[in-house]
Amino acid sequence: MNSTVANYFSEFESYQKMVDWLSGIAGFDTATLVMVVVISLMAFIVINAMMLVGGLGTYAERKISADLQARIGPNRVGPYGILQFLADGLKMTMKEDVTPAKADKVLFNLAPFLSLFGIFGTLAVLPISSGLALSHLNVGVFFLIAISSIVGIGIFLGGYASNSKWSMLGGMRGASQIVSYEIPVTLSVLSIVLLAGSLNFKVIVGGQTGMPTGWFIFHNPFSFMAFFVYSIAALAEANRAPFDLPEAESELVSGYHTEYTGMKFGIFALAEYIEVFVLASVAAAMFLGGYNVPFHLGGDGIIGQVLQLGAFVTKSLLIYYVVIWIRWTFPRLRADQLMVVCWKYLTPIAIFNLVGSAVWLYAFKGQSILQLVLHSGGSSAGGH
Amino acid sequence: MFHKVLIILSSALTVASAIGVLVTKDIVRACIFLFFSLFGVAGIYASLGADFVAVTQIMVYVGGVVILMLFAVMLTGGPGKESAGSKGYLLIPMMGNKITFGFGIFSGLVLLLTMAKITKSVIASVTISEVEGFASTVERIGSLLVSEHVLAFEISSILLLGALVGAAMIARPRKNV
Repeated sequence: MNSTVANYFSEFESYQKMVDWLSGIAGFDTATLVMVVVISLMAFIVINAMMLVGGLGTYAERKISADLQARIGPNRVGPYGILQFLADGLKMTMKEDVTPAKADKVLFNLAPFLSLFGIFGTLAVLPISSGLALSHLNVGVFFLIAISSIVGIGIFLGGYASNSKWSMLGGMRGASQIVSYEIPVTLSVLSIVLLAGSLNFKVIVGGQTGMPTGWFIFHNPFSFMAFFVYSIAALAEANRAPFDLPEAESELVSGYHTEYTGMKFGIFALAEYIEVFVLASVAAAMFLGGYNVPFHLGGDGIIGQVLQLGAFVTKSLLIYYVVIWIRWTFPRLRADQLMVVCWKYLTPIAIFNLVGSAVWLYAFKGQSILQLVLHSGGSSAGGH
Repeated sequence: MFHKVLIILSSALTVASAIGVLVTKDIVRACIFLFFSLFGVAGIYASLGADFVAVTQIMVYVGGVVILMLFAVMLTGGPGKESAGSKGYLLIPMMGNKITFGFGIFSGLVLLLTMAKITKSVIASVTISEVEGFASTVERIGSLLVSEHVLAFEISSILLLGALVGAAMIARPRKNV
């Protein structure tokens, strides 16, 4: 069922009382109005939290890369340099906002916001907990994949409107990469949708348990493979190293955002870091049990919701760490290697996974490999 | 009430962007207007409760067709600035002169008024009802596609396969030419 954060709050008595009280004052039924206000407020909170995640992502990137390269990294602004991203943001807002003379000004200014728009759209279905998620749509996974393809348009436009060769090449590479790698991402996500039997994130996460034994990644060999196919393709979709060809600094200066200055560049960077978090959290939700807390601690009340939020953020940030770790470990691919990896390796493997998952579901009636092993062990011990 | 507001906003976005597609001279800007227009259509679907269709609209048209159009513009050498005159239509070949344009607009108006006359009774009787709770449409669409509409489903997959094979044939390098 479609449900939103307002549905969760409406289960509390105080919410109903407040609605009744407001209706009494206003003289008409304010349930819809209160729902809209609650959802808007939650959206505001989630977006700001994600901005913080994106900002801290740049700090984490610099600190972790420093760690991997035996340096110290930013350590001047605030304790351990943790306020560095605020200083960077302030610097960017104070810079001169340059638009190239021959650029298409409208599209040039629109492009970063289209990127950010696509990312913020995905936040609407991000399963941060069973109650506090903004919405649990019936078509949640499908919606997330669809709306995140707008990022590609933003990158492409940024490259085109700058009227610069570097930007143009970066934008072309970015868009073709995003369009290509959407296929393995979608196919590996589909094999999990098959296991869960729904496109709704709530059902998908609900089909797993808090302990690793119930996670979909360990459900069968095909979903185990699908996790790695998804991880590789998601890296490419977020334009992260080793797939960061659109902004390859040694070839294209800075790719599609070469001509951007100040906060418009900052918005592109922010969109990229939030996209990494979103893709990491999708991996956590689909393969690693999502917001499930071990032993169902805390129940379904507010405390349980906070614990679920904690479990979700922990898993996502662990994947986020791995993403940064990969960036500072592997060299970049060539453009032709990029397409070969996508079309000749990842896509056939993803299709194989999808068919394999379907066969597994049919042959073993949806049991996980662990259930099969335990069942056969139990039955032999029982002498049947 | 809330659904009506959503429908009106989506419709306004659709119509305004569609006008933008027609008015603008730059083909890339026309693509972006088309993007917003298609997005508005998705908004109309969503506010009428057809969630799966709305997301498919975003997936196929917004994420697919618009990017494909932008690629086509880019790979054919970008927008040709010389093809449009100061009034947009003057230098487009085979588009006629002021008389043919006037005649075209007149016949379009007649057609519009005739259509309005015919469909007046239908439009007047339509009421936008509040959406009655959401029911899952995904399962229904899925089972309909592989039961009643399986022929259309399979034929469209053959069409796509043909397009794929054709694209591969055109794009493959010719060794013995």
